[in-house]
Order: sequence, then structure tokens, then C-alpha cells
Amino acid sequence: MNNIWGSMEQYDPVVWNWIIAVYLFMAGLSAGSMLVAIGLKWYKQSRGQPTEGLPVIKAAAVIGPVAICLGMALLVLDLTKPFEFYHILLNYNLTSVMAWGVIALLVYIPLVFVFAALVFEKQVLQYAPWLAGTLKVCRQVENSLNKLIFALGLGVGVYTGFLLSAMISYPILNTAVLPALFLASALSVGSAGNILVATLFFSKKESDCIEQVHRIEYPVAFNEALCLVLLFVGLNFSGPAAQAATAAITTGTWASVFWIGVVGLGLVVPVLASTIAPKAWRHTKGFLITVSCSTILGVLALRHFVVYAGQSYIS
Amino acid sequence: MTKRYVLVHDENKCIGCQACNVACRSENNVPESVTRIQVRIEGPYGNFPHLHFKYNRVSCEQCENAPCVKVCPTGAAYVNDDGIVSINEKKCVGCLYCVAACPYKVRFINPETRVPDKCDFCKETRLARGEEPACVTVCPTQALVFGDANDMTSEVRKVLDTKNHYQQKVNLGTEPRVYRIPSRKGGIKA
Repeated sequence: MNNIWGSMEQYDPVVWNWIIAVYLFMAGLSAGSMLVAIGLKWYKQSRGQPTEGLPVIKAAAVIGPVAICLGMALLVLDLTKPFEFYHILLNYNLTSVMAWGVIALLVYIPLVFVFAALVFEKQVLQYAPWLAGTLKVCRQVENSLNKLIFALGLGVGVYTGFLLSAMISYPILNTAVLPALFLASALSVGSAGNILVATLFFSKKESDCIEQVHRIEYPVAFNEALCLVLLFVGLNFSGPAAQAATAAITTGTWASVFWIGVVGLGLVVPVLASTIAPKAWRHTKGFLITVSCSTILGVLALRHFVVYAGQSYIS
Repeated sequence: MTKRYVLVHDENKCIGCQACNVACRSENNVPESVTRIQVRIEGPYGNFPHLHFKYNRVSCEQCENAPCVKVCPTGAAYVNDDGIVSINEKKCVGCLYCVAACPYKVRFINPETRVPDKCDFCKETRLARGEEPACVTVCPTQALVFGDANDMTSEVRKVLDTKNHYQQKVNLGTEPRVYRIPSRKGGIKA
């Protein structure tokens, strides 16, 4: 529009775009897959079962480092001054959620590499025998390392939610439910990612310990759905601007993304698949791949929906 | 904090001429595609023949509780003793968190420096020389009053003490330092 007061282009409320949505997805995927793998490891250990060479843990050792590094690469490229990103590593403003995220990621990223190196110890030593000493030390503190990675994984999953909820003027984003929603969906995409990679690359039998991972899917999907209900019901009681923002799920493109992507692919398909699908299918490769891809797309849709619809409504 | 610089925009006196917008652009070398201030002419409100427009100044509100400063990960967005929300270009990486967090949507990326930019009450230039911001100086109807609200003898203090005024989006708790005198013709609508 040609206003007397000038261009309105710079006033577009959508500041963070799909790059941030994909980063938030990648961070959730990495954190979720580590949480699921370490949780599974503890579950098996507590029952005295072997944990060596489990396909799901191998899958997490691949997804954990790869997803977070791709995500970080996107994040740095999205800065307006990508070559000066190191300033964020030198200066910390501790009232900023982003600064806390940087601190968490600074510890988390090297540790997931250590986790991966311990899982693939043989292969690593084949190519880099000089790491033998370091890996031996890491192996000795493995249990503590896993606890630390688990805590940091929770931190990374939750921080991505707080990152958005700190923006006080967007009613959809500025809620305490968002971090919980992001953590729940990180767990669901983490388990789906683990199942997908495990089935594709590491599984020898058709049902290699995928059952235990499946078992967490119900409560996680339930929590995710609950958070979504809380988010939109809560908006209804938070004043006119917030109430207007509930239009995000009734009108426009993002409403379709929400119902088809987030609810359909992310929640309905996986839950129906594990309740009404015939038993004979459940552990076939095709079935596992289809269902986990559906969950992954659902969570990717959720991150896009939150980033775009969240910023489209301003109070 | 010894000084508390505030700006009052009298919506009765404003005529939406954009002289402030133009003066700001030339004083601060603001690139053509972006703006630090706009006075948006909103309306018409009311029923014919009793129609009126609202003149809405859109510029940095210099919040006392600034969301942009809180979210900045590096501390590149900061507030000095003068209470003016400022930007340290050297520390900024351009994450856009401050741009997204600003409830008034007045921060923008300067296409030349690749750093967020916004109104700073001309603090480096005119204020440093003891002059008023460019927009205040050029306003043909004296719709803008600028000064130190902590100085009990200042004009801005007198205006705030004697005239009805409001701030935008107070419910967010940002405590903006831009005050507005509502148009007598319409109600308060932030």
C-alpha cells in the first residue's frame, strides 16, 4: 500500500521464518532421540538386560549429533551477521533465554558426540586409533555422562519453547504451555526418528526392541494433545487479543497445517496405527517407516504452525 | 538514573504531515526502504458528518522495562543512565530476537549495517549537542514535547502533570516513555 507515511514492509510481525522452525524441529529431534535412547538404556539396565548394540540406541547416536549440527548451521546462516556469530559465545545476557540456550548447547553438543563415539567405539577406533585413551576415560564416566546428557536434553527441548514464549506480544507464543508442548513433541519426534533410523539401518530382526519405544508413544501423544488443548482453551480466557488469536486454528492456511499436519499426521495417524492396525502389520518395515514418517512430518508441521501462526497474531 | 527522557505526542495538535518522519530520516541517515518514525493516519472514525482521523505515532517507546533488552542474548541491546534504549552494533549478531520481541514492532534491520535500528531520541547527534530530537524541532504544530521528566521544572513535566495522557499497550508491563494526549474527538484506543 502506498501510504503517506511510507512503506509498511518493515512492520511485518513475522520476523522469524521457516529456518527457525526447522532449527526448533532439529533441536527437538536431537534432544528427543537422546532422551528416548538414554531412557531405554536405563530401562534395560534396571531389568538386568544387555544394552550393547541396541538398534534404537545406535539410531540415537546418529540422529543426536547430526540433527543438532544441521540445526545450528541453519541458525547461524539465518543471522544477519553470520560471520560475527562468535559474539554470542563471548557475551552473555542471563535475562535472555537465548543466552541460556547457548550455554546448554555448548555443553550438550560435544557430549552427544561423546555419546555417539561410545556407541560406535569399534568403528571410531578403526579410523582414529589415537582416540583410544580419551574414549577409555569417557567409558569410565559413561553413567554420569548419560545423566548429564539426559538433563541437558530436557534443557534443550524445553528452552526451544521458552525461546518463543519470552516474546510477550504474541498471545499464542507467550504461554507457559509452549515449553511443555515442545518437550512432548520433541519426545514423539525423537522416538519416531529413532524407530525410523533403527528400522532402516540397524535392525536385524523386525521387532528389535522397538516395542519399548512404542510404549512411550501413547503418553507422549496424550501430553502433546493436552498441551494443544490447554494452549487454545487458555487463549480464550486471556483477553480480546488472545481470543482473536484462536482464529489461527479456524481460518487461513495455518489452520489447515494445524488440522492436517499437526493433528492428523502427528497425532491421529500414529495413535490409530497402533490401535486398529492388524497385529501382523505392526512390526513390518513398511508399517514402521510409514508411521514414524507421519509423526516426524506432524512435528515439523507443529513447529511451522507455532512459528508462523504464533507471530501472525499480535496483542 | 538521573535523567528520564520522555516524549509526549499531542494527538489533537498533530496533523499527520510527516515532517517528523522526513526530519528523522535526514538527521539519522535512515536508508530509504526503512523508517524510524511513522505517523499513521488511522480512520476515519465516527459517523458522517462527524468524522475524524487518529494520528498514531509509531516509533521506539523507550520502554523502562524493555522486552528487546531482556531477550538480547549478547547484551547488544542495552539501556544507559539516560534511559534511552540503545544498540551496541559491535556486540550484535543479528539474531532478530529483539525485533520479534518488540511489542510495538518498531525495530527493523538497517539494510546498510545489518544491525537492528530504531529511534534513539537522536542521542548521538542532537541530544549530545544539547538540542532536542529532530522530530520535535521540525514539528509545525508543536505536537511533540520532549524533555527530562525527572526535572520538575521542565515543560514535559508540566504537560504530563496537567494533561490527560495515555501510553500504548500498558498491559504488557513495558512502561513506555512515549506518552500520548488523546484526541478530544475520540476515545482512548491504543
